[in-house]
Amino acid sequence: MRLFETTDRGSVEIEIGEDLQARHEELAERNRQLFGERGIRAFDITGSVGAGKTSLIAGMVERLSGKHGVAVIAGDVATTRDAERVAGKGAKKVLQINTGGMCHLDASLVARALEQLPETGIDVLFIENVGNLICPSFFSLGVEARIAVVSASEGSHVIEKHPAMFESADLVVLNKTDIAEAVNMDLDQPIADLETVRPGLRVVKTNCLAGEGVDEVLRALSLA
Amino acid sequence: MHEYSIALEVWESVAAAAGKHGGGRVRSIKLEVGALNLIEDEQLRFWVVALAEGDGSPGVELEITHVPARVTCKSCGGEGEGRVPEGTLPYFVIGAVRCSECGSQEVELSGGRELKVVTAEIETEGRNGSGG
Repeated sequence: MRLFETTDRGSVEIEIGEDLQARHEELAERNRQLFGERGIRAFDITGSVGAGKTSLIAGMVERLSGKHGVAVIAGDVATTRDAERVAGKGAKKVLQINTGGMCHLDASLVARALEQLPETGIDVLFIENVGNLICPSFFSLGVEARIAVVSASEGSHVIEKHPAMFESADLVVLNKTDIAEAVNMDLDQPIADLETVRPGLRVVKTNCLAGEGVDEVLRALSLA
Repeated sequence: MHEYSIALEVWESVAAAAGKHGGGRVRSIKLEVGALNLIEDEQLRFWVVALAEGDGSPGVELEITHVPARVTCKSCGGEGEGRVPEGTLPYFVIGAVRCSECGSQEVELSGGRELKVVTAEIETEGRNGSGG
């Protein structure tokens, strides 16, 4: 650390030179290495409050738990409700992270949760991010893929309005297609918008509560 | 709202550096913020000032320098700040940035995501070895 005396103000200026974004990337990279070493395929599931992230995860866990050791990290501002919903679907471990006021998960929160995972027997990890279509897009967790869940009730222009999330996503799940007509949602619109924001990004339509489309999501992630 | 957690990290970084230097009230902080982080300066300033005040450094000044995006074009190989079509809303910048040479959208981002705590100015007056 270098010092610069600024005597006229009775102070010193210290050089810090710390890039916080680079530190985030380093932590994410450390998570990625840990996943690699332990043979864990990790996925970050993002989306608005009520998009269906927990329902999608519950459906995926239910289908995978016979063949895989599945763990879930559920991130929320408060409560353990999501963890409770996923527990009982066959996951080997379900952890809840409460972020307090924080609007997203970051690599360090995930790293801390990973300390509580069993060291062996887990080969698939779903990380449910905080319900928010904006902030999580700026924080990489070190996962294999990010799945952005949007639902029909979020309106036809949800993707066009939140491009950063879809810039960083590897798969889009368009959920609650069963209620599209009732909420006046044009299902073609978000798909057309995605072609502008992220040409070629794959979309899977689901009705997660009924389990429709979940198998296709697993196939898209090469989990089935 | 991610400005809050970023402010928290900025302040932790500054407080740790100030502590190593013997403590003292922090008077000003210089930050470099990449354009692609989409950070609202005023929100970031609000939280850093609030956190600093709670930690015994009221009225801290925050100097924010914006670092433009840097792109490498996959089509023509050109490197530069890239350009964004006129009228693009700030939130759409990441998707809209293109090569300033040939206009291609096939660009690789090599800069613009920085979030650097550059320096902090710490008061030495009245400290007299008390450790602040």
